[in-house]
Amino acid sequence: MSGAGAPVRIGRLGLYAFLVGMALFFAIPLLIVISTSLKSLDEIRDFSIFVPPSSPDFAAWWKAWYAACTGLNCGGVHVGFWNSVRILIPSVTLSVLAGALNGYALSHWRVPGADFILLALLLGAFIPYQVILYPLVKITSTIGIYSSLPGIIAVHILFGLPVMTLLFRNFYTGLPDELLKAARVDGAGFWRIFVSVMLPLSVNILIVATILQTTGIWNDYLLGLIFAGRENQPMTVQLNAIATTSTGEIEYNVNMAAALLTALPPLLVYFASGRFFVRGITAGAVKG
Amino acid sequence: MRIRNLAAKTVLTPTVLVMLVCFYGCAIWTAYLSVTRSALLPNYQFVGLVQYVRLFSTPRWNVAWSNMFLFGVLDILGTLGLGTLLAVLLDRQVRLEGGFRTIFLYPLSISFIVTGLTWQWVLSPTIGIQNFVRELGWSDFVFDWIVRPDRAIYTLVFAGVWHQTGLIMAIMLAGLRGIDRDIWRATRVEAIPPWRVYLRIVLPMLRPLLVTCIVLIAIAVVRSYDLVVAMTGYASDLPGKFVVDFAFERANIGQASAAAAVMLGSVLTVLAPYLYLELSRRDR
Amino acid sequence: MSGVVVRGLAKSYGPVRALRGIDLVVEPGDFAVLLGPSGCGKSTLLSAIAGLDDIDAGSIEIGGAEVTQREPSERGIAMVFQSYALYPTMTVRRNLSFGLRVRSVPKPEIERRVAWVSELLQIGGMLDRKPSQLSGGQRQRVAIGRALVQHAKVFLLDEPLSNLDAKLRTEMRVELKRLHQSLGATIIYVTHDQIEAMTLATRIAVMRAGMIEQYATPDVLYEQPATLFVAGFVGSPGMNFLSGSIARGPVPVARIETDTIPLDGYPLCSSSDDGREIIFGIRPEHVSLADHGTRGALIEADTLFIEPMGADTLGWFQYGSQRISARLPPQRARGLSGKVRLSLDIGQVSLFDPITEQRL
Repeated sequence: MSGAGAPVRIGRLGLYAFLVGMALFFAIPLLIVISTSLKSLDEIRDFSIFVPPSSPDFAAWWKAWYAACTGLNCGGVHVGFWNSVRILIPSVTLSVLAGALNGYALSHWRVPGADFILLALLLGAFIPYQVILYPLVKITSTIGIYSSLPGIIAVHILFGLPVMTLLFRNFYTGLPDELLKAARVDGAGFWRIFVSVMLPLSVNILIVATILQTTGIWNDYLLGLIFAGRENQPMTVQLNAIATTSTGEIEYNVNMAAALLTALPPLLVYFASGRFFVRGITAGAVKG
Repeated sequence: MRIRNLAAKTVLTPTVLVMLVCFYGCAIWTAYLSVTRSALLPNYQFVGLVQYVRLFSTPRWNVAWSNMFLFGVLDILGTLGLGTLLAVLLDRQVRLEGGFRTIFLYPLSISFIVTGLTWQWVLSPTIGIQNFVRELGWSDFVFDWIVRPDRAIYTLVFAGVWHQTGLIMAIMLAGLRGIDRDIWRATRVEAIPPWRVYLRIVLPMLRPLLVTCIVLIAIAVVRSYDLVVAMTGYASDLPGKFVVDFAFERANIGQASAAAAVMLGSVLTVLAPYLYLELSRRDR
Repeated sequence: MSGVVVRGLAKSYGPVRALRGIDLVVEPGDFAVLLGPSGCGKSTLLSAIAGLDDIDAGSIEIGGAEVTQREPSERGIAMVFQSYALYPTMTVRRNLSFGLRVRSVPKPEIERRVAWVSELLQIGGMLDRKPSQLSGGQRQRVAIGRALVQHAKVFLLDEPLSNLDAKLRTEMRVELKRLHQSLGATIIYVTHDQIEAMTLATRIAVMRAGMIEQYATPDVLYEQPATLFVAGFVGSPGMNFLSGSIARGPVPVARIETDTIPLDGYPLCSSSDDGREIIFGIRPEHVSLADHGTRGALIEADTLFIEPMGADTLGWFQYGSQRISARLPPQRARGLSGKVRLSLDIGQVSLFDPITEQRL
């Protein structure tokens, strides 16, 4: 690619400069939170947040984990952490499984009204929680699972159904149906084909689905606030309670440490998953 | 043949039932509540559009409602503009493209609560930017939007754009990568400068994708709750928060349902033309 | 009208040498075809001439000017891509004129050229439609139109007919030949279809594995292929290849199976030794059924099977341990079986060295 020389160079330089500037815009808030969480309260008071800590110290993190106060009790966010874990594992497993089965059933088997079901799912994926919040509260309390662990898990599965089903369905329709036909000629039925043929081919999409659900459920706030019950409040709810308690002096370092601890699990998943994460979020958009 | 499909139907039945009851049934329930006399407790007496009239005469709702449009438009313009720009730049074969992508996308992996709190701290007059600039010497510098009720909504835009630009960038980049490479080669032969290629050829080709992006962000704006709670509390208000507050704290089911129905209406207004276009495009 | 001169062009993709020292001279007004199987480097060569890909070594001249360092838009070329690459969101008219508008060609001139091209290619009725509303053949003509409108010195076409169905392909072949004759443009054309090459080209460069095996007119390529590969690639049904050896004597002869075939008239170089192994190549149309009294090279073979091909029939025969095919008139081929005598037209024979694959 021969040269137009100087103008191209300057253009390239400008491009990189802009990208680096943008990268700073995205990175700096997080860096500020990290750096402030490592400072002492005096340091925070006396210096601006853009100044790095003079002697980084994890004391605030310790306090956030074990002793931060939510106004009612001072158990630290580790309580919320374990609650979130207990909510996460069943919810993710069951919603991914349900999505896979549903997607599989809708993709290669003749089901009456399949198009209608798909449209209903698509619409359902967009319904804001607030629209069905109150009725859902009524239903779950009638069944007896309101404000409990089973309740929040059920709600997460419910809200995960449309997206998960559509995700798997789009994936499975992309697989050649000769595979299925060959298996049926061999005598395999619905379940056999799912377990022996479909699942082994689904590793990638299972990873994508798991990442999508894990991120969504871990980061959820509203549903956890309403349906989980006082003993099962997820980490995000605890975090907000800690950060917005305004009794006495605000311990910014502790609050920020708590925020980081809450953000850490999905961030780690993100950094570890790379391309799968991107596939997950774009699948939501390019699903058409 | 028919017996085999029984398994598929059995598997789908719980989902279909749950969808019907919980999603659609409950939505209809809420819509019905919005035309009843419900206040503290549900009261199934039909009263027409009284709740809606009351809703739109409530100052708090009107603020929330107009905030939603303000926030929505700015958020869409911001995320779409910045996201597309970043996608275009990264499409130019940049070194360390992976690194840049990782940085632009990571906010999407954290909770809106964390995003909201982070920006609340960064924009806080006491410890954030205002404080920083004052420490540098400009002791009269003021940037307290986040605590001013009339400006707080704009601060939400910062956080919203920071959080969601990565999504738009990822989607648009995928679209750009899907463009036939021969089109690029043809433009090189015809001496068309790259910026013109993007503006006149490539981005128009991606119009459907842009529309998808707008729909996604718009719906996220309508649903916003976590971000408002974490960032500004009561200083700014959005319909998403209004509904929850009125349903649980203020305990006025009628008003909450009316507000929720309005939210649903907004979502459908955005969604209906989009779905219609998508489906008719696919049939062609 | 300009020519293209390529000297010593080389290009590698990592360890793969896509082009190895290519030399090519295209005279002004020539229709040069780059022919070869996939992977031979023909598209790479075209891209290199266009300037779309960098090269590792060598030089390119277009119209007498050295263009090796220049961008595609500065080389005076126009290109038609296999996928046509029409701008989908623009009408045909804008597709044709976009490049000209970018180069600030004055409006009346743009309109003149668009009108000329629409007339020439019969696309006047489609000017306000978008590419998605056109058929494959129509899109192809628009793509050609876009190239013509540039008034370039040299036109590069990359397998433009491969996306069309067979009937359309034949029609477009005729169109292209007509265009070339009326415009007298210099064209470099890439294809893997040897029939296309033979009908369209003034000169053909047969390529294999990054090198040009032979660059000659279609007649020469057909009658005097320079290598075994060219002999086998050009011409359908393919040339027969028989193994044998040479024996010198008063008249040089070829020893194939148990027969001795005189080679009078064949321009053998004197360095060919006695007993040398050769490959004896003869095309099916130069093998015929011997009647009584036919003189010349005669062999005996067993009928294997008959392939009716419409105007002709291809007969396959077992000749010793080898097979040979002959083009036969259908009436004589019907019911043919058992031993037959075949006559070989020695004037049309090609001999090759089995190891170097070069023509002897």
